[in-house]
Amino acid sequence: MAPVELPVEKWTGKIKEVKLGGNGRKSMVIGGETTLPFLKFEGVLPNKPVIAVEVQDAPPKDWPQALVSAYGDALKDPGEWAKKALSFGAEIIYLRLKSAHPEEGNTGAAEAKKAVAKVLEAVDVPVIVIGPEVPEKDNEVLVAASEVGKGQRLALGNCVEKNHRTIAATCIADGHVAIAKTPIEINLAKQLNILLCDVGLAADSIIMDPTTGSLGYGLEYTYSVMERLRIAGLMGDGMPSMPMLCDVGEESWRQKESRVTTGVPETWGDPAERAINWEIITAISLLNSGANIITLRHPKTIEFLKNSIAQLTQAG
Amino acid sequence: MSRYITSSAIRGAHGVVEQAEKLYKETLKALGPDKEVAFPNTTYYLPVIYTLTGHKVQKIADLAKPLELAKSLLAPVPDEHLWVPYLGEALDAGAATLFAEEIIEGIRFAKGEQPEAKNGFKFNGPIDDVQMRAWGIQMVDGRMPGFAAVIGAAKNNEIAVKIVRELQSKGQLVFFSGTTNGISIVDQLLESGVDLGYDTFTVPFGSDTISTVYGLGYASRAAVSFGGVTPGDFRKILLYNKFRCFAFALVLGPIDDLKWATGAGAINYGFPAICDTVVPNVLPTGITKYEHVVSMPFDDIPGKDDMERAERLVQRCIEVRGIKIKVAKVKIPVAFGPAFEGEVVRRDNLRIEFGGKGGMCFELLRMKDKDEVEDGKITLVGPDIKTFDVGAKVPLAIIVDVAGRKMQEDFEPVLERQFHHFTNNAEGFQHQGQRDITWIRIHKNAVDKGFKLSDIGEIIRTCLVNDFGAIVDKVQVTLYTEPEKVKELIEKARVIYNERNVRIAGLTDDAVDTFYSCSLCQSFAPNHICVINPERVGLCGAYNWLDCRASFEIKPSGPNQPVAKGQIVDAEKGEWAGVNKFAYEHSNMAIDRFTLYSVMDAPMTTCGCCECIMVVIPEANGFMIVSRDDYGMTPSGMAFTSMMSTAGGGQQTPGMMGHGKYFLLSKRFISAEGGLKRVVWMSKNLKEELGEELKEACANIGEPDLIDKIADGTVATTVEELLPYLEEKKHPALTMDPVM
Repeated sequence: MAPVELPVEKWTGKIKEVKLGGNGRKSMVIGGETTLPFLKFEGVLPNKPVIAVEVQDAPPKDWPQALVSAYGDALKDPGEWAKKALSFGAEIIYLRLKSAHPEEGNTGAAEAKKAVAKVLEAVDVPVIVIGPEVPEKDNEVLVAASEVGKGQRLALGNCVEKNHRTIAATCIADGHVAIAKTPIEINLAKQLNILLCDVGLAADSIIMDPTTGSLGYGLEYTYSVMERLRIAGLMGDGMPSMPMLCDVGEESWRQKESRVTTGVPETWGDPAERAINWEIITAISLLNSGANIITLRHPKTIEFLKNSIAQLTQAG
Repeated sequence: MSRYITSSAIRGAHGVVEQAEKLYKETLKALGPDKEVAFPNTTYYLPVIYTLTGHKVQKIADLAKPLELAKSLLAPVPDEHLWVPYLGEALDAGAATLFAEEIIEGIRFAKGEQPEAKNGFKFNGPIDDVQMRAWGIQMVDGRMPGFAAVIGAAKNNEIAVKIVRELQSKGQLVFFSGTTNGISIVDQLLESGVDLGYDTFTVPFGSDTISTVYGLGYASRAAVSFGGVTPGDFRKILLYNKFRCFAFALVLGPIDDLKWATGAGAINYGFPAICDTVVPNVLPTGITKYEHVVSMPFDDIPGKDDMERAERLVQRCIEVRGIKIKVAKVKIPVAFGPAFEGEVVRRDNLRIEFGGKGGMCFELLRMKDKDEVEDGKITLVGPDIKTFDVGAKVPLAIIVDVAGRKMQEDFEPVLERQFHHFTNNAEGFQHQGQRDITWIRIHKNAVDKGFKLSDIGEIIRTCLVNDFGAIVDKVQVTLYTEPEKVKELIEKARVIYNERNVRIAGLTDDAVDTFYSCSLCQSFAPNHICVINPERVGLCGAYNWLDCRASFEIKPSGPNQPVAKGQIVDAEKGEWAGVNKFAYEHSNMAIDRFTLYSVMDAPMTTCGCCECIMVVIPEANGFMIVSRDDYGMTPSGMAFTSMMSTAGGGQQTPGMMGHGKYFLLSKRFISAEGGLKRVVWMSKNLKEELGEELKEACANIGEPDLIDKIADGTVATTVEELLPYLEEKKHPALTMDPVM
């Protein structure tokens, strides 16, 4: 039998490389690939996808038991929490300043500075800081976070069209990376990158968060949008060629299927196991659509994903 | 540049550079070359010198280099008989002035003479980095447009306070420096008990003109810090400020050579000067975005008193610098938001209505000169809602005058059509129609909550400024309810509507060299791209060429981009090299040709939102058209939805194409295949909807009876039923050249 010849696509573009960390902090580079995920026979994939683990600035009120028991008392302090996450295998800490949300405590710049300082102190891996996702509040706490981490090349989000100028300005001033978030839409994603570059933020200081849904409703849509963004980048369009981040932890753990313990068919199985599977499958899917950073919550998912990424990067 | 100003500026520059050199030499002797020179709490050295030249001044000896540079920038003072001095020399003199001023301030710091203290008041001196960062971010994100450098002193204390309050109300940071006849505006404000300092966004730099340079040091640092510009890249620093920092100088009182020289320095940054005295105007644009120097002698400003004159003076500053001020909220007594858009006001709840059957109501937006429009002025001529009976039908005229530097007459109908969308957002307010068929109904509850007719003006003005601020600077609204007046005005409005119709009709593909794209649908049809020409509305029916042009003005990075037609490839099929290139680049290289007038050869791609879809019926030698709201079967053997799934999703399918309803009325409607005469079948509702206009289009091509010859779902839903009908009616398509 004649050997099967693999069809090889010739891409002309390259995904931008974005550096995180540095200045005393461990640094890493994400992106840089010249082909679709894991297709080593077709192009170069210089930097493997990385796992960010979520830490919040206050003990979470709505986390299911499966998560709470995995972290224990560490949830009470963002620094301790970050250390725990590191011990689970986090390559990046994804700090969510949730208490700054108007309905979650409405804390301000001073509290944000404290939480960020604690995490920066506790771990030496790169750090992403995410605001409460209310643009005005994001501006307040992210500008504060930016000052605390000046020069350490954090990633700051969310940067949306409404507040992109502020986040871009603070990123330029303090040498950080912006996480540009758009609602599952190719053109908006591209447009926000253009707007950020217009304000003067360097193209290698942007990570896209195309917004994801979890397994089930939303996943296919995100998958396609991400794939389309990635293909557009590989085809040579510079504006959607930024690396991507997917917030899998938040999305998968808020689904009904990850939370309900009673009143569902027995075939749904053990709630904890089900929730972890849900997180794993969502994460694996999005890795295959081009995610460069995946944020996770449960230690078992982290372990599983680390293995999967290792196997996928070694194979073929 | 004015000869007078140039000469003064160059003279002023010579003076201040000499002063700096003298001071430098004295200090070098007295304090030695290693004495430290630094502004407090900054990492930007002497910021103007550092950011524009890259040179770091840390001690007295370091001042030699910028001093030499300043001297090298000085041209001789223009000869009395040189009538057109060179603008560049004035700008260079300005730069030299700023260097010299910063050298002087640096030395004053070295000698412990800064920040200045005078009459027990301690001036601020330069802004420190922490404050620069806090304000800089607000300037970048638009919360704070820029700064006003107020130089000199106002006519009196009261005016000084009014000017500052007005500037603050526009969100401007206010800097103070310089004196007029020995009095500084800082003295005036202090005497009036005004708090000055970072907390109130007011910064007193110093009492002399030289301290004005601190403002430019602030602007320079903002560009490096937030614009990512490298120190020394002076061109980028200056451009950054021109386009992003909305600063200007407001010069109060007579202007001496040093003030002119400093002003020339500020113009390098794109900051214009507005003067309240008689000086030559420098109106052409160039280095600054709009005018360079504007003279507005205070006592000649129209206004009932000095307070109003001060207000107008500040308003003029805002206009000259091109500052846009957003209004946070529509100030009306009822709720406002998209949730109320589809609300219907029924008879039982009706408080008052305007227009509709037997009524008279119209809306008209007109472009005016900026001097003819007073922004925010809303006038009601005639009685208000409450004076009318419940349920009354009352005449109403809504006349909106707008002015804007980028406003064009062609945008009038585009903006006017937005009123429907704007006003429907108000709770208890129902708006239908447009032009002179406008129909408005207002709910009892809305009026009970205090809704007045002027609130309509409030809504329109706020929304126009917020959503269309890129093209509209000023809006004033006048409403009329007196029957006689409305009747008189509606006749005038009809003349304008008619003129617009004629203008639109004259707007042909050949008359323009640019088409516009629309990529809104790429989110779900990634390879789809619309190219919209004047004679063809977008396939969704929602965007025509003018809408796209306005949309591009409003959001230059948005979904509607200009498409240069380029070389014509095929006039009959409507194929242009520029369009092909654009289609290729924006369809992810999926499509390399686009014809605008043909459905058989490289037709436009179809996304998912077309109003109609047409497909070739080879047996009938023509095309059939089904509209989205026709759910029935068609002679193609497919209903609308199945046809959509064949042609939609961004595909190019020769013989099949999505299009807008109104494309049928265009002279360019599939003209390559013979136009309307090729249409053999059409959804009945489409025939009815286009009614008279379609009849007229048929008559124009010499086929007045064509509509009757075109079959619809009532006579044929299969090809077998269609053909005999066409033959019986002697449809022209049957005798035309073969379509395939």
